[in-house]
Amino acid sequence: MSVAASSNMNMKFLYAGIAIALLIAIAAPFLASPDPDGLESAAGSIVEESKLAGMEESAPFVESPMPDYSIEGQGKMGEVAAVVAGTILVLGISFVLGKAAKKN
Amino acid sequence: MHIPDSFIPMGQAIVYWVIALPFIFMSLKWARKELDDMKVPILAALAAGIFAIQALNIPIGMGTSGHMVGAVLVSIIFGSPMAGVLVLTLVLLVQGFVFGDGGITTMGANILNMGVISGFTGYYLFVALKNKTGIKAASFVGAWIGLLISALTCAVEMSIAGTFPLVAGLATMGLYHLIIGFIGEGLITAIVITAIEKSRPDLLDSSVTNAKGVRA
Repeated sequence: MSVAASSNMNMKFLYAGIAIALLIAIAAPFLASPDPDGLESAAGSIVEESKLAGMEESAPFVESPMPDYSIEGQGKMGEVAAVVAGTILVLGISFVLGKAAKKN
Repeated sequence: MHIPDSFIPMGQAIVYWVIALPFIFMSLKWARKELDDMKVPILAALAAGIFAIQALNIPIGMGTSGHMVGAVLVSIIFGSPMAGVLVLTLVLLVQGFVFGDGGITTMGANILNMGVISGFTGYYLFVALKNKTGIKAASFVGAWIGLLISALTCAVEMSIAGTFPLVAGLATMGLYHLIIGFIGEGLITAIVITAIEKSRPDLLDSSVTNAKGVRA
């Protein structure tokens, strides 16, 4: 297989990958379980209530622009926008970093 | 399994950063050595897909949910746990800084748990098993156990931090992630690896496919 043809196939893989990632990103806010994850559930069941309340009240070290994958006041559409934006951001950073790091 | 800032005291959080940093540097070195114009698009698409699927929490009962981590999947495709470390580092950076998922101080611990420990354990378990069980079963078991071990490590870290009691932490984290690892990590990883092996075996690292004679 020629390098050019193979490279073309990998670009197709890239587009397919992006399409799948975006579909998951759009569906995630509607499908994702609101239940806490394993670590939070464990904290809820084994950490004393007073201590847990203190931990939950403490602010994060750095405030994030879109906490909890949402945009304030934008409801479900804001969540979709947030996850889609994150997906595109990760894609862009990985692509640029990969291009910068790769051997010449 | 993203640890928020308040779960680990600052001093210990720095220790985990110090342990994670050499792995991050090694993963960048891996990228320099292994990535080329063909592999960069695959890496980027995988990273984006893993970010998206991590937003999709699956209910596992007991009022708990879990999501895929993906380090083992990436490591198997690229034939190196360093690929898993690199992708998880990028995903966790965006999750921490943009979405407040996992703290900034605890990001070292999160990279260590989900990138390094899950990726290394899962990948080498896969390598040890693949000739005996085939790629499908080996990727399932590697991803499942890789996630479980990283959850148990997280429970130990929580105990050192004074956040969880050790035994209760190990039991609870172990139980939840035994289930999350089975569904979210093991099954999805095995399905994706099998699908790629069937449709595009050339995308898998030769060290993965050689064992099954796909490239022979």
